Formats: sequence, C-alpha cells, structure tokens
Amino acid sequence: MTISDSTGNEALRKIRKRYLPFHEVGVGMVLAEPVRIADRHVVRFTLPAEHALTEVDLRQLAAHGTEYLCIALPDTRSEAAVAAETAAAAARVAEIFAGADLGKPAVGALYRRVLAYRSH
Amino acid sequence: MSTRPPVPVTREEVLARRDALPVFPRVIDDVLATLDDPEANVGDLVAHVSRDPVLSAQVFAIANAAASHSRRDGKVRDLYTATSMIGLTRLRQTTIVTSLAGFLRGALPPGLSPGFWEHSAAAGVCARLLAQHVHQSSDAAMIAGLLHDVGQLWLFRFHPEAFASAWQAAARGEASIEAAERARFGVDHSTIGGWLAESWQLPAPVCAAIRHHHAPDSALQEPLVAVVHVAEVLSNALDLGGTSPRVTSLSEAACEQLGLQWDESAESLFGRIDAVSHFIATYFRPQ
Repeated sequence: MTISDSTGNEALRKIRKRYLPFHEVGVGMVLAEPVRIADRHVVRFTLPAEHALTEVDLRQLAAHGTEYLCIALPDTRSEAAVAAETAAAAARVAEIFAGADLGKPAVGALYRRVLAYRSH
Repeated sequence: MSTRPPVPVTREEVLARRDALPVFPRVIDDVLATLDDPEANVGDLVAHVSRDPVLSAQVFAIANAAASHSRRDGKVRDLYTATSMIGLTRLRQTTIVTSLAGFLRGALPPGLSPGFWEHSAAAGVCARLLAQHVHQSSDAAMIAGLLHDVGQLWLFRFHPEAFASAWQAAARGEASIEAAERARFGVDHSTIGGWLAESWQLPAPVCAAIRHHHAPDSALQEPLVAVVHVAEVLSNALDLGGTSPRVTSLSEAACEQLGLQWDESAESLFGRIDAVSHFIATYFRPQ
C-alpha cells in the first residue's frame, strides 16, 4: 500500500495499517479506518477514514473512552529490517504452534493467518 | 510419565476451601442483571457500584480523566455525573475488569508469576472482542474469559506442589495441562472452575464456558462455550502473555459455529485484540 507524502509531490512511500492502543496515538496521525463510537445504539462520535487527527479529536476520543484506533503509519523500515522482523515473527509463531497438528483444518488455518498477520 | 497416585479433588473439597478465597464480587451479578433487564438504566448500576469504594474510585478516575480532556470545569464529584460521562457500556466493562482483577489478585498467593494475570486479561479481551465480532454478549464473554482458569488458581493455592508438578509435565510436553491435572487430582482445572462458578451462582452460560473451555464440542449448544474456547486459543496464538503460550488444538466445530474462516478478514480482529490487550494490561499489573 502506498500514500502521497506530506509535500504532495510525486514521491510515494509505503504505509502500514496498524491498530494502536489509544495512548500510542498522536496528533497528525491518519486514520486508516473510520471511527464510530456508539453507546446503547446511539452514535455519539464519528470520524472518516484518511482523517488526520487533531488535538481536539484526541480530546474527544479520550472523553469517549477510546481504547484503540486503526492508523495508517509510514513504513520507514529497510528491506533488511522487514526481512529480519518477518523471520523472527515466523520463528515465534512456529514455536507457539509446535505442538499442534497443522494438518487439521481449523488449527492449520489459524496458524497460517497468524503467520500472515505477524509478517506485515 | 510417572506421577504419584492421584489425590482426588472433589466438589465438596473445592466448595469447602472456596471460603478461604476472597469473597466473590457480587457486583458482577448486578452488571449481568442490567444486561438482561430492558428497563435497567444508569441509576441501577450506579447504586451497585456505589457500594464498592475501590470500584467507585476507578469510575471517578476515568470520568475525571475524560473531564480534563473535554476541558470541563471542576472535578467530577458525584457518581451519577461520573457514570453519565463515561457511558453505560464503559461503566459495565470497568466494573467487570476492576472487580475481577481485585478478586483474582486477592485470591492468589504471593510470588506467583505474572503469567496468570497476563493470560487471564488476554483471554478476557479476546473473549470480549470475539463476542462483538460474532454479535454475542461481550460482557458475559469478558467475565467468562477473565475467569476461565480460576480452577488453576484454586489448585495453585490449595495443592501448590502437585499443581507445580502438573505444570512442569505440561511444559516438558509430556501431557496437556488438563491431562496432567487429571493424573494428579482426578479432575482438571476446567471442572474445578465450573464448580466454583456454579457456587458463585454465575449465569449458566458463563459456568458452561469455564467448564468446557478446553473441550467445547459436547457443550456447543451454549454459544458462549465456543467463544471462550476460541478466545483462549487466540490469546495464546497471538502471544499476548502468560507462561509459555502454546496452541495445541482448536475445535473445528467451535470455529464452524462462530462462522470463523480465518481468512484475511480475521486480521482486523487480531489487530483490535493486540491493541486493546496493551491498553487494558494496566488493570492487571500486580500492585
């Protein structure tokens, strides 16, 4: 996935869609998914995807007890760093599933999905 | 595997020794009652919360944090204002997490690895978000997830040496933890947890989910059983805490009942679980 950089020129860079705990979210971060906060089926607060968060937004989100947001983050990692992280994640997932029969459909599918999730 | 002959743990022993544990927080019943009562309002829950000073303090802390973010003048000083600010959904979740964290902390002997906290919290978060994902009651799921291993807590407290032996056998891969417990006690922690949950008069779905979380297939008529089984597996699969998290099995029937395909759409569920687990972990750090 790519996105225009902040200068709006032709340069494109990779982004990663990440769910972040609210305390790790900051002003200027861009929403990767819309926000919709409801209580007892009453919608109390919304923000669209691709919205850059302001200080006022963060105050309102905190007041609504937001626990996480889905953020589009620039991926500044080198290819070597990506490869090293992916290998480490794959090794850890393999260790966790070492005792499972991956030939069984459900646990095999979960293993492959967790592996994919940890690889990007 | 060589183990000593089993020292049978009976339901009678579990219930007799239960009284040496801290008193189970009755506010949990009240929270669940507000879910089932269409006429329930904030006032009903506030009346219950106001009887618990620790819980009230937590609600005030959250409300005042929200007030400071919204630049509201002055501190929030009454519980009705506090609860109306944070909303009924969050009030219920705060009540569940705060009261059960306090109960579990008080029930554990000192010196236990933080793994029990981490795993209980992670399973509670997974159960809550998975229940939301499949449109089931997230509050009952969170309660069952937080308490699913309460039988291990009982074993650790009242039979620490034999339980440690079972744990080590499981860690060496000699047997599953349930099999190792059955070899030593005649029952496993799921059964003990089910007995405790029944004695606390928790709702039948919560009791069933605790009792069958390792072997759900015979109890899938109760949907919460599938949720808590899959939630515990997910908490291990996503490496969210606990001592040496491992996935050894996953019920095909439980996944099928919940409509889980583990396709690309599951990754947003994983992401939410990861983020909320980190957010909520502070409730469970030993104080």
